[in-house]
Amino acid sequence: MLEELKTKYVGTPLEIMEDDVAMVVYTPRSVVHRHTYGKLSPFFRALKKGKLMATKCVNPECPEKRMWLPPRADCPDCNQPMDWVEMPQPIIGTIHTFAEIVYPGAGIELETPYYQIDVELPGVCTIFKGYLTSGTAKIGMKVKAGFNTKNPSNTILDIYWDPVK
Amino acid sequence: MIVLKEGNLRIPKWNRKVFAVAGGLVNYKKFCPEMKLEEQVMVAFRQMLEQNNLKMSPVEVKGLINLITAGCFADHFQDQLLCEAKVTDYLGLDPMFDIGIKTGGATGGSTILTAAMGIASGYADVALAVGWERMSEVDTRMGNYYISTAACKDFETRLGRIYSSYYAPMAVRFSQMYNLSEQTRAKVAVKNHLYGYYSPYAQQPGKYTVEEVLASPMSTYPLRFLECCAMTDGAACMLLCDEKTAYKLSDKPVELNIAGGSHTLRVADRRDMDIPLLPNEDPGLYDGMRKKEGTRWPGFESFAASRFAAYFAYRMAGIKDPLEELDLIETHDAFTISDIQTYGDIGMRPYGREAEYIESGDAYFGGKCPANLSGGLIGTMHAVGATGIFQGVECLWQIQGKYDQFHGDTKIWKSFGKEKPKDWKSLQVPNAKQAAWVSHAGVGSHVTVGVLKKAF
Repeated sequence: MLEELKTKYVGTPLEIMEDDVAMVVYTPRSVVHRHTYGKLSPFFRALKKGKLMATKCVNPECPEKRMWLPPRADCPDCNQPMDWVEMPQPIIGTIHTFAEIVYPGAGIELETPYYQIDVELPGVCTIFKGYLTSGTAKIGMKVKAGFNTKNPSNTILDIYWDPVK
Repeated sequence: MIVLKEGNLRIPKWNRKVFAVAGGLVNYKKFCPEMKLEEQVMVAFRQMLEQNNLKMSPVEVKGLINLITAGCFADHFQDQLLCEAKVTDYLGLDPMFDIGIKTGGATGGSTILTAAMGIASGYADVALAVGWERMSEVDTRMGNYYISTAACKDFETRLGRIYSSYYAPMAVRFSQMYNLSEQTRAKVAVKNHLYGYYSPYAQQPGKYTVEEVLASPMSTYPLRFLECCAMTDGAACMLLCDEKTAYKLSDKPVELNIAGGSHTLRVADRRDMDIPLLPNEDPGLYDGMRKKEGTRWPGFESFAASRFAAYFAYRMAGIKDPLEELDLIETHDAFTISDIQTYGDIGMRPYGREAEYIESGDAYFGGKCPANLSGGLIGTMHAVGATGIFQGVECLWQIQGKYDQFHGDTKIWKSFGKEKPKDWKSLQVPNAKQAAWVSHAGVGSHVTVGVLKKAF
């Protein structure tokens, strides 16, 4: 025999946003995702120590043997695991292109406006996106990597760029 | 350098021909509290069944459908998993198989491509391609953040949190490499807002000047708000069928070929590669451009996915020279810059000369191959999952000679609570025979190019 039950509503009533042509309610959401940096964890750990790590394909059979930044653990050309390589300091790159962030979406962690820059790095087959902490962005401008080692955010924002004086 | 092999470049081939016969749209709005998503889909579905001069009753047509391809971009917006089941049920199409399709901004194109595969393979004789998005479920800034999670969440999203910030670097680079002025960019915005003015479906119609576009607030430098697409609540649908059913259903069937291409999520990962040539491009055309120092293709200037989709779709459709043989196009003008970039990819002009397509007048109504007479994404809508379907439907109606029927009818304007402008004019392309549309995702991560050809 099942027991007799009495059930009460224990939720939080939804706030009504508007009730004109239709009833519109606010349904709040707050979620925390558990996101792994996976095999790229060495990259994010290194940023906090002031180092920029790339991955490089060392498979002698690989037709390309490229170096990657953003890194990826496995080579897309030969599908074999790659090795970690530390970029030599000072890390000097060239601005390939840029944008000025004026009206960002929700949750932005940098003071606006700021320059988002795409940086060419020697020996790297890709272009690395970052932000400039001072100066005015220009295509072809030389920039030097800096690292947020004191209060790291544990995100990609732990590397930034400054103009080479 | 990525090197493509013979199998990679195999031209897709239908096992039997595919046709489009009918389409349906809705009143695209920023915020549509009066209807839920499936209720909006019903509005598009009814228009498709009831207003497209089909030779069978809506109930009879429904009795022919045995495949539904359903496009919706982001579960974040809908906050409802398996919307497809709700929609199929709501339209009264149970228990026919529906398959959800998701390729970002190209979702609509991919949805039609999947339905076409169903017809071409013989899985279905009649398929419904339907798409929707409800972007007003969150406020604009949160919506912009959601969309920016279609950039790489580890290496890009935090650096902008708005999609214009991933296109703005392309605008800066393209402008410098190909000498593009902001006035030319603004002209695209002026044109598409204006064409939206003649459409009852349009969310952002407007008669703007180049100066007004350039004076509008900055989204991400150098892109202004009036250069950016709408965020929309809306739906669209298209009915596809095999040849025999097409002529049974319609006096004006239109043949469909469509193909796609994909590329890296991050622009920065796009390594240099040889440019696959369109049928009208001579080998050697890009030799000079390719020798310049620092150039990479597609780089930040172009979209390999668009080029590949066009490479395949034009050959499937037998198109030799797109500018000469297409009577109109619909491009994915999410931003003025991405629109201009696409002109090179799909052969409206060779790479490096994209701006000429606008400056020559070719892209305007009355020009050689007008673009986005629908108002596009800047003038009319971007309810992401529906967008590529909306574009295809507008091309279909042009070829069927039904622009006026679907844009000039005062009853349609009234049913949306709108007044048809006194200075309304028809944007029907006289005797339109062939049209193409580009459905585009991310910063060029997925693109389909569809070609519709008059078959009556």
